[in-house]
Amino acid sequence: MSSEQEHLKETDTEARFEFKKEEKSAFKADKGLTEETIRVISEDKDEPEWMLQRRLRALKQFQKMPMPTDWPGQPDISEVDVDEIIPYIRPDVDVRAGVDDWTELPEEIKDTFDKLGIPEAEKNALSGVGAQYESEVVYQNMQERWEEKGVIFCNMDKAVQEHEELVREYFMTKCVPPSDNKFAALHGAIWSGGSFVYVPEDTTVDMPVQAYFRMNSEGMGQFEHTLIIAEKGSEVHYIEGCSAPKYSAFNLHAGGVEVFVKEDAHVQYSTVQNWSKNTYNLNTKRAIAEKNGRMEWISGSMGSKATMLYPSTILKGRGASDNHITIAFAGEGQDIDTGAKVYHNAPNTKSTIESKSIAKDGGRTNYRGLVHIADGAENSSTAVECDALMFDNDSTSDTMPYMEINESKVDVAHEATVGKIGDEDIFYLQSRGLDDDDAKQMIVSGFIEPITEELPIEYAVELNRLVELEMEGSLG
Amino acid sequence: MSTKAIESLSEDTVRRIAEERNEPDWLVETRLDALAALESAPLPDVIQTPGRKWTDLEALDFETLVDPLNQADTTDRDADGDVVVCSFLEAFEEYGDVLEESFGSVIDPTENYLTALSVALFTTGTFVYVPEGVAVEDVTVRAEMNSRSLFSQTLVVAEESASVTILESIESGADVADDRYFSNLVEIVAGENANVQFGSLQNLSPDTSTYSLKRGDAGTYASINWIESNFGSRLTRSDVETELNGDGSESQIVGTFFGHDDQHFDINARVWHRAEHTTADLVTRGVLDEEARSVYEGVQDVGVDAWNTSSYQRENTLMLSDEAEADASPKLIIHNHDTEASHSATVGQVDAEDLFYLESRSIDSQVARNMLVEGFFVPVLEEIAVDEFREDVEALVAERLR
Repeated sequence: MSSEQEHLKETDTEARFEFKKEEKSAFKADKGLTEETIRVISEDKDEPEWMLQRRLRALKQFQKMPMPTDWPGQPDISEVDVDEIIPYIRPDVDVRAGVDDWTELPEEIKDTFDKLGIPEAEKNALSGVGAQYESEVVYQNMQERWEEKGVIFCNMDKAVQEHEELVREYFMTKCVPPSDNKFAALHGAIWSGGSFVYVPEDTTVDMPVQAYFRMNSEGMGQFEHTLIIAEKGSEVHYIEGCSAPKYSAFNLHAGGVEVFVKEDAHVQYSTVQNWSKNTYNLNTKRAIAEKNGRMEWISGSMGSKATMLYPSTILKGRGASDNHITIAFAGEGQDIDTGAKVYHNAPNTKSTIESKSIAKDGGRTNYRGLVHIADGAENSSTAVECDALMFDNDSTSDTMPYMEINESKVDVAHEATVGKIGDEDIFYLQSRGLDDDDAKQMIVSGFIEPITEELPIEYAVELNRLVELEMEGSLG
Repeated sequence: MSTKAIESLSEDTVRRIAEERNEPDWLVETRLDALAALESAPLPDVIQTPGRKWTDLEALDFETLVDPLNQADTTDRDADGDVVVCSFLEAFEEYGDVLEESFGSVIDPTENYLTALSVALFTTGTFVYVPEGVAVEDVTVRAEMNSRSLFSQTLVVAEESASVTILESIESGADVADDRYFSNLVEIVAGENANVQFGSLQNLSPDTSTYSLKRGDAGTYASINWIESNFGSRLTRSDVETELNGDGSESQIVGTFFGHDDQHFDINARVWHRAEHTTADLVTRGVLDEEARSVYEGVQDVGVDAWNTSSYQRENTLMLSDEAEADASPKLIIHNHDTEASHSATVGQVDAEDLFYLESRSIDSQVARNMLVEGFFVPVLEEIAVDEFREDVEALVAERLR
């Protein structure tokens, strides 16, 4: 065994995600989805009438829309039967809207997040932290200095009560309407938890805020909603982490993320997704960027059985820009179908998409992306770069970009490469005294470095550890 | 979709076409099977993105476009050497066995609605047979379409170590008042170590809709090289495809198009790597002026058994007008890791600095732009080994720019 792998064992990365906790819930909805379920959830949350009505409208949308089955080469999601999903589990936490001190949490929940390293990270590198367990946010805290400046970071359910006007205006109205896709509709009907972030004008939140989402129960669905509003000239970096223990029944994650990047604002949204390999990750994430606004999506997709996720940005204002960096790692039994969508709807807009994917042990990765440049979006430019690395012959690596260019004064470039790990590279490293495993690991780390260097150091380390974990075993 | 039944089409129509041409039973059966498939065969796949369909084939009204019994064309075939180049009619007697064996072996007639329609109704086309070891260079097939609809079928069979270069062109002849439909299926069977180069130039009148599917089956060490040039038609759907079924086989697909007015080009280049040590190179360059629109799909599909594959794809579109639209989707489907594959696609306009440089040399801006457009095609034209074909393309580009 290589020294790297020994190190891995010591850090115990695997055990950090795979452990299960006994299920203790205060309220657990029945399986399946009916109007009754939704009324019960809404009542349990003590929501205003308009939110209930929005949920019910979304439910109607959901029932009307067909499952997406006709995408070329899409992952098999036929197993996803919403009637088998437990849509809502409220963990047994005294304070309904979550606590702001880890010690107030029930022991098993605190222990979960301790193992995931969240309180530790909060101390060192974050402005604020939210932690969701099952369907509800159980912990939420932000440094006082941000509160004083008017920054809001709270859980979504609390925002519905305390910032009703803002939520009513922005929640699934302008950015991701429930009619967007079947799982957005499902999300609109039974969303629960998630974060609400509001950054006032000209405020720069210089350390990231983080939310961590944990599913613990078998057969549940998590549907958290994240709404970020960055006012004119503001700046914020939001980090999202996800994990769940593995069960034999499937779990479903259908979150919704809406980001409003106002004039001159800058939002970075980073995700390290490590759902268990029985989870279907069918998320809808979208940002709208106004004049000179800048949106950045950084995504690491490591876990899940099947992922269909295409974070999108609508460049609505002149000079707005978008930057996508994604990395997908598919091992045995995984089908990671991810990419990016960018709509250039204004002049002088700019986007860059950088995608890296690794497929091994029969896994499949697919880059599926759309860049649309509308008529009149002159002087826009887009550059898309996809690189894929394949380890073996059981794996599949696909690239399916789509470009729709309605404007002539543009600069559009797309590039993709697929290759295997170079024998020469390995030979070179071996000649320097590294063994085969370490050499491969080093090459993979180098391959994904453009992504890891964008993340705060703690998360870069985390991502590298996850990659090492994935690499382990098959190489030995 | 619910397939469009064409009321005027019946078994009688198909039998009449076959009888007039004195066709053997197997072909009549093939035609009738194709006719029957119209009931359920779907239209060819078209790329869809949220809220958009890149090409609307369903808008084609076959009821009025298709006039099966009045097809007319003038086709000149020219060849020197030990090669058979003739119409199917002339080939039945002597090469009936070859025809029967290879016809429909590369393109399944019932594959989609448009292939089925084409096989059921074709009245023209060319059979090219290159016996073992024979090498011929200048096979030319120049056709004029003189009717409302025309269905053409071409079969090329190149035996072991045979080599052939074929140039095909299609233009509109006599004026017809109505909208027109031209359908062109080309099958190439390249045996071991055979080498087939097939150039095609389409310059039909602007009232025409064109469907063209060209597919080759490359055997061991065989190479199939395509040149596909599209200038005419209002709507063009063109698919050029190679199946690399033999070890060490190769294919190059070179495409050019130049659209103006409200022309719509749906250009597709696809290659399937199914054997070891295969190589493919897909190169397409197109220019769009006025309200023209292009749709491009390139597919490089590397199968599980395709060890040591090399596969490359490039597509570049130049937009001369703000009303033009260019959509592109270059796809990689990779099932074997022993692969080196890449693709790239770009869309842009004439480079402002290049233009400025030429103008600073006192070249008129229109002339300068035209020079740059002609220059844009050069990397593709360089791939065309046949002088005559290259000159034809250059002439058409120059004509468009005038």
